[in-house]
Amino acid sequence: MLRYIAFRVLIALVLVWLVSTLVFLVLHLVPGDPAELLLASGNTAPDPEAVAALREQMGLNRPIYEQYLTFLWDLLHLDFGTSLRDGASIGPELALRLPRTLELIVAASIIAALIGVPLGTLAAMRAGGIADKITSASASLALSTPVFVVGTAAILVFAQWLGWVSAGGYVPFAEDPVRHIKLLLMPACTIALGLSAVLMRMTRASVLEVLERDYVRTARAKGVSRRRIIWRHVVRTALVPVVTILGLEMGTLIGSTVLIEYVFNWPGISGYLVRAVEARDYPEVVGIVLIISFIFVFLNLLVDITYALLDPRVKLAK
Amino acid sequence: MTRAQRSLTLWLAVALILVAFPIAAPILPLQSTVAIDIPGRFDGPSAEHWLGQDELGRDVLSRIIWGARASLIVAFGSAFFAAVIGTILGLVGGYFRGLAEILAVRSTEIIICLPPLLLALLVITILGAGIDTLIMALTILFVPKYTRVVYAATLQTGALDFVTAQESMGTHPMRILARTVLPNIFPPLLVQFSLTVASGILLESGLSFLGLGVVPPAPSWGLMIRAARAALDVQPLLLLWPSLALAGTVLLLNVICDRLQEVITPRTAERGGAAWLRRQLGLTKPEPVADDTPLLAIRDLSVAVSTERGTIGLTDTVGFTLKPGETMALVGESGSGKTLTGLATTGLLPNALKITNGSALFRDCSGTVLDLAKLTEDQFRPLRGNDISMVFQDASASLNPVHRIGDQLAEVIAEHRKLPRAEIDTLVVDLLRRVGIPDPEQRRRAYPFELSGGQRQRAMIAMAIANSPRLLIADEPTTALDPTIQAQILRLLDGLKDENRDMGMIFVTHNLAVVKEIADTVSVMYAGEVVEQGSVAEIFERPRHPYTAALLASVPESESTRLESIPGTVPRAGEMPEGCRFAPRCKHAADICASVDGLQTLADGRRTACIRWETVT
Repeated sequence: MLRYIAFRVLIALVLVWLVSTLVFLVLHLVPGDPAELLLASGNTAPDPEAVAALREQMGLNRPIYEQYLTFLWDLLHLDFGTSLRDGASIGPELALRLPRTLELIVAASIIAALIGVPLGTLAAMRAGGIADKITSASASLALSTPVFVVGTAAILVFAQWLGWVSAGGYVPFAEDPVRHIKLLLMPACTIALGLSAVLMRMTRASVLEVLERDYVRTARAKGVSRRRIIWRHVVRTALVPVVTILGLEMGTLIGSTVLIEYVFNWPGISGYLVRAVEARDYPEVVGIVLIISFIFVFLNLLVDITYALLDPRVKLAK
Repeated sequence: MTRAQRSLTLWLAVALILVAFPIAAPILPLQSTVAIDIPGRFDGPSAEHWLGQDELGRDVLSRIIWGARASLIVAFGSAFFAAVIGTILGLVGGYFRGLAEILAVRSTEIIICLPPLLLALLVITILGAGIDTLIMALTILFVPKYTRVVYAATLQTGALDFVTAQESMGTHPMRILARTVLPNIFPPLLVQFSLTVASGILLESGLSFLGLGVVPPAPSWGLMIRAARAALDVQPLLLLWPSLALAGTVLLLNVICDRLQEVITPRTAERGGAAWLRRQLGLTKPEPVADDTPLLAIRDLSVAVSTERGTIGLTDTVGFTLKPGETMALVGESGSGKTLTGLATTGLLPNALKITNGSALFRDCSGTVLDLAKLTEDQFRPLRGNDISMVFQDASASLNPVHRIGDQLAEVIAEHRKLPRAEIDTLVVDLLRRVGIPDPEQRRRAYPFELSGGQRQRAMIAMAIANSPRLLIADEPTTALDPTIQAQILRLLDGLKDENRDMGMIFVTHNLAVVKEIADTVSVMYAGEVVEQGSVAEIFERPRHPYTAALLASVPESESTRLESIPGTVPRAGEMPEGCRFAPRCKHAADICASVDGLQTLADGRRTACIRWETVT
């Protein structure tokens, strides 16, 4: 097990390096000069002197390998540079906002798993029946409605009409735990809706497949109770691919939270990204994209390890 | 036209009608999308403005229809460009392999490593917002998806015989790709296209909602929702219309995609879930039957499969009896119905199969006689693994791969006997030792994949005998094993019979050589019927049915001087000949054979289904 984990960690580190290099290359190889692009507004050509000064400030005049090494060296020290807009250091801002986004994603994933897995199991057990048809139709509907529509509608209903929660915002947990959780719930549930539909479909397919396996028949031949067969033999095995999907979806979610954080004024990393993109603040965009990619890689690592814990055969394969 | 095709056509027609509106937008009598009417701002639906007016008093209906144009241009545009690029990359990578594969396929997969919205934002940072940028960003996002699909499909078709044939005839690769491979990968491509269009509409509206997509004042659904959000308390209807349009379009595309997949790969009809999963109402205690069978009496048991074209009989009026301590071999070719008979006796028939006739009377450990053919799942459960157990053919598939052997063994004990955990553990170790698994203290912690094939079958047998059953059904327990291991397992089963002298055993096999070693009596099955019954010695000495004789002659170990094979194949279910089912393959067949069937009992107590047994055997 330890050797397996060590191997996966090594792969993850290589991936982190590859992603960093890719982002560096994208920035330096695309046509156009970052400094010029930044200073350009509309169709007016930027002042050459200002461009030159900015190039100096961004270190664009040095040889590219030197820039690359500096870039990696800084990353190694978790130094993401400074914002072009206000000169503020990017690292601390990331450190402040990242946990909020992660909290949102983790909460959404837990809610989605709690809804999607039981519903998917139920749908598979009653495949073709009424319960199956209702859950499958609901899943299609949930998958077809974009998160920002669901989020905005949720604000309209729960905040404006019913007045249960405020329309959005954020309060640190330490300041007011109850209010913190109340504010967390609506965005988390909004993300969870679509995610639970994905998990429900996946669980349904997986459970249907496992139900056909010989070892389920063996469990019946042993006289094991229905509930125990379902949980211990069917769901336990069927969850292996579902965990993989959840892990991958969580990675994609880091991107989708952009919309949710915007809708609910959640001060996470994605809102920061939208502002950075609007302002075309290169160092900020790079820092955020990198940190999100790192988390993506890290999530995949977690999935691999969970996979090994769930399915003992995996360890042997490596 | 199948049901799926009709459904697909219907939904496609709906989509076409809806798409016609935005396409015809310039010639439709719509109001201007930009004409501002401040006094009419936030007005609800009226005769002049069917869906009302927005925050600047602009007509919502015409903005929805014109907004659809933006969505469709971006979605179809990017889906199309990505399809062209992705298909070329996938074809090249899948057909030429090697370096081309690395460059064309693997390199695009890096894109999949990044969250999609993030990548789009990165492109927008570099190029600035606008419809052109959107199409470009989404194209980059979608290319790897097509590449993957086309690559996989090309690999599949490339391996097909007709492609290999063309290659050997020297046809130019480009010609093969265009003429042969491309038409074959079209279906998965079509599915991917509809998925991408839906995803493109979602991404476009999402980015526009953030203010990073379509640039105002051009109408877009995402922008309309963004504006409606600011005016939720004034006019909630402004949120409703674009949301409905957006979700409805995506839902329609998803439905079309689902139907498309059904047309391409038809699914087998689902039956409302496995029957055993449903809790039954009514009787909890099975009704005892007045009968004096000592252990098991199968009478006229018929199993049928229900298909769309009605029920087809698989086994017909199978009957035999088994006394305590007796071992009966159930012999026949594959498809003769021997395994089905075994499964029917344990109530483990697959979903679509049903017992249509007959009874299986069984005396349980309390002395009550029950009809196994009539028990419900809940009534059967206390018997299984306790009074009746089963050993399956393929132990590696029949053991749960994610649970330890010891735990799977403990489960069957704990389910039927209320014992403390420590005692169960001792029993588990004992059982593993009894079936000959070395070092049972350690091995009980092993997972099935860590055991050898023979050890897995031993573990399977340990589970079956854990509660000292009265009836053990072994369904080809040695078929998947090496000959040396086969002999060990047979010796093990033989030894178990000595330990538990009351245990009756049904040994299902197609291997006559092992029958001699383990069985007392034999029932020979052919095409779903029992054709001959008798003791092992008698059957091997003087078979009373041409089929048995032919089976014996086809076994290498038999005393027959020449190895013979039986001509022809077992008739298919639902196409059974009249009268004797073996007659078409029988070298002794005569006219009379077509008019009779059924077992007759001979003077010495043996039974045969052959009407001409006196002349032919």
